[in-house]
Amino acid sequence: MSLDLDQALQTYIAEARELLQDMEDSLLRLESDPNDADTIGAIFRAAHTIKGSAGLFGLDPIVSFTHIVEDVLDRVRDGDVVIEPNLIAVLLESGDHMLHLVNVVAAQGEKLDADAIKREGGLRIRLQAYQDNSSEVSHAIQVEAEIPLQSSGGGLVETDNWHISLRFGQNVMRDGMDPLSFLRYLSTLGEIVSITTMFDALPIADEMDAESCYLGFEIDFKSEADKATIAGVFEFAREGSLIHILPPHSKLTEYVELIRSLPESETRLGEILVTTGALTQQELEAGLSEQQTSARPDGSTTPLGEILVEQRSVEHEVVQAALDKQTQSKDSKSKENRYIRVQADKLDELINMVGELVIAGAGVSLLAQRVSDNPLQEAASVMSGLVEEIRDGALRLRMVPIGETFNRFQRVVRDVGRELGKDIELVITGADTELDKTVVEKIGDPLMHLVRNAMDHGIESAAIRQATGKSVKGTLRLNAYHDSGSIVIEIVDDGGGLNRDRILQKARDRGLIAPNVTPPDQEIYNMIFEAGFSTAEAITNLSGRGVGMDVVKRNITALRGTVSLDSAVGQGTTVSIRLPLTLAIIDGFLVGVGKSSYIVPLDMVHECIELTENDRQAASERSYLNLRGEVLPFVMLRDHFEVEGSGARRANVVVVSCAGQKAGLVVDELMGEFQTVIKPLGKIFSTLRGISGSTILGSGEVALILDVPSLVQQAVNRESQHVSTRQVIH
Amino acid sequence: MGKAILIVDDSASVRQVVGIALKGAGYDVIEGCDGKDALTKLNGQKIHLIISDVNMPNMDGITFVKEVKKLANYKFTPIIMLTTESQEGKKQEGQAAGAKAWVVKPFQPAQMLTAVSKLILP
Amino acid sequence: MPISATNKNGQSLLHIDGDMTIYTAADMKSELMTHMAQPCEREIDLSEVSEMDSAGLQILILAKREAEKHGTSLRLTGHSRAVLDVLDMCNLASYFGDPVVLSCNENKGQ
Repeated sequence: MSLDLDQALQTYIAEARELLQDMEDSLLRLESDPNDADTIGAIFRAAHTIKGSAGLFGLDPIVSFTHIVEDVLDRVRDGDVVIEPNLIAVLLESGDHMLHLVNVVAAQGEKLDADAIKREGGLRIRLQAYQDNSSEVSHAIQVEAEIPLQSSGGGLVETDNWHISLRFGQNVMRDGMDPLSFLRYLSTLGEIVSITTMFDALPIADEMDAESCYLGFEIDFKSEADKATIAGVFEFAREGSLIHILPPHSKLTEYVELIRSLPESETRLGEILVTTGALTQQELEAGLSEQQTSARPDGSTTPLGEILVEQRSVEHEVVQAALDKQTQSKDSKSKENRYIRVQADKLDELINMVGELVIAGAGVSLLAQRVSDNPLQEAASVMSGLVEEIRDGALRLRMVPIGETFNRFQRVVRDVGRELGKDIELVITGADTELDKTVVEKIGDPLMHLVRNAMDHGIESAAIRQATGKSVKGTLRLNAYHDSGSIVIEIVDDGGGLNRDRILQKARDRGLIAPNVTPPDQEIYNMIFEAGFSTAEAITNLSGRGVGMDVVKRNITALRGTVSLDSAVGQGTTVSIRLPLTLAIIDGFLVGVGKSSYIVPLDMVHECIELTENDRQAASERSYLNLRGEVLPFVMLRDHFEVEGSGARRANVVVVSCAGQKAGLVVDELMGEFQTVIKPLGKIFSTLRGISGSTILGSGEVALILDVPSLVQQAVNRESQHVSTRQVIH
Repeated sequence: MGKAILIVDDSASVRQVVGIALKGAGYDVIEGCDGKDALTKLNGQKIHLIISDVNMPNMDGITFVKEVKKLANYKFTPIIMLTTESQEGKKQEGQAAGAKAWVVKPFQPAQMLTAVSKLILP
Repeated sequence: MPISATNKNGQSLLHIDGDMTIYTAADMKSELMTHMAQPCEREIDLSEVSEMDSAGLQILILAKREAEKHGTSLRLTGHSRAVLDVLDMCNLASYFGDPVVLSCNENKGQ
């Protein structure tokens, strides 16, 4: 396969996957609204396109199976088949199988294995029930009608040339068909031995319409091509035209018939045929004198064009009615979506380059400041403004709505619900919320885990729900929204909630919480994210809740995100995932401790205050500050990172907030906002707490990016320990 | 410079493959992703042939053909409809609207090339 | 206008410029027929015909036939490549009966 075609195949694979996803979404939509013509149309179009394009690449297994699906969908569209749950189930499975076909046949270039073939066989049988078997019959009849030529009686003529007699319909040129084009193409199939242009039909000047066609041709043609190929040359001009094709050594009677059926006089046509060598003089005379009225043995020798003309006139009205109907439904479908398909690599590369540009820009600004050249500084600041816009624009290119990811769960919820025998409805909100594609790709698995868990262990069985006075149908909600530079994804179920006491007990048993300490409820619930925390008995009816929750947490942490859980007994559980919008660049706030620089993500910075001497004194005793009467846990970065040297004369507190909790970070110096290109830390640093990445400053120095959520958590924990130890002491 | 062909299909892979085949044969190829988009390509440039799918979002092929037939500079342009076997009705609708040539989907690039050659040679 | 006319020694000289296709055929026909109404010898210069299809060919045939009907003569001259191709393919050169001259350049084109 050529490089170009290979690329086209990649386009096809991506396109087919997308269409199959759309098809699935639409099918699920049909469950609630089975008569939505737009949705049905969209499903049909998906199958139609997948099949059509597969044919281009010779992917016959895809064509052959999709054809059946398309056929059934066509009947649905025409209203011959009614949408019902079984049909949706078959179509959903067919969609899965088509995806499998695309993955195996198109993407890997392999054949289906025995299992898949068996599955396909089953699907074919189930689909057949919805197919119209009569259509095949009528198709067969039509094919037969198109084979003319044979008949008996009369001798064979001598010439070994084909004779082609053409009288074009008046409308061919108006329809965009140029008779000369057909002749040009004909001459690529063989040799035009002789040609006579017939314009007897051309009326006098006043009556002649310059856009109508009055031309005809008598052609003797030498070619090895078969009749179908030669007839095929004129297939687009059949309508309204008289086309006769006599193969070499045709029967004389057929020539006679031809002469009779043409508009020009017998003598004139006879002359032409003799002059061009199609017939000899003797053949002509013998033929014409035979005056047989039985020359037409049966309908089969009727010229092709005539058959078609007759058929057209009958069906025209029906066609028009159908046409009007189609147009109406199509017009209502109008939905603006104009996309350019760009390779993800190219975007990544662009974003990388923008990252470098941001760093370089910072270097320029720094230099401009050093030389204190005002115009230069001004220019640099204009430039960095633009760079910032480019950065945002570039990142936005990679932002995609989370809806697509959410929608995938429609199917999961439906299937798992059936498996579990629970009737659960998935409600999606905030589907338009956008986040970076790289984040989207990685969030699928953790989400899947959480959704399955919520269905399996969160939502109770119908019997229990009824007993507790809840509606029998359970609800699972996926929600997303933006919150201070992060995206928050919530998985909410209206199930029984977590059993707080059991978890507490379990945590104490495992030594995760001291026996005499009772942390706030929220903290207890979040214990289930601890590694290996839960076992079936641990939380009784919520048995598996904890299984693999630590894995979920790990995955989310790896994305610089956090996960937390809230629950109310009998009312349900909410899991919130908080993720950065992008993994590439953030607005940072640069702070200094000693000679080191650190970056705090700007959207987490709440305010900055000076650390007064009093506070400093007080802080050394207790682990919180007094922020206008509020308790503010804090972390001394100098101590935390063991920065050398004594504390600066003055210290500042950066108040950060994360997931509703505030904490103070004590630093020496506040250096202002800084666009931060995130460079991931190497593996060696993966155990480092409180650092989430690094960046390069304009000066070329490295600055570490603070992992604020973990620092906040640390500060809060330390503060509450302080509190609890105090409680114990007193 | 070859003769220009406008290919209208919502499937990027179809456009790509047909484009490769036609360019290989010496034609110039212009793409439209649906009827509406394709109409914007009929902006005065010379187009010798149009290939259009039937089922497309925004503006389907039949409507598109009807629109082309209203344009003084393009109304005599030959149009090849991409139909499917199961859509005999669609083919006839297309013909009634003025698209007298057709290629049945799924097709191989060579089949498309043959159909095009009957109407215009590069 | 695609057809310009000049008069020389009582002979009318028509010059066709541009395409002779279905898009121009209707205009071309009415213009040409206006010229054909005058009873005189005439010559049509086809050297600037850039494209010709069946519709264009029909116009030429019509002109020839009208001339015959009026008993005047019609000569086609300077056939461009596009015109020659069509007359060749339809085997009509002898019908028009005009000497056909190919320039070297045009010859190379094929």
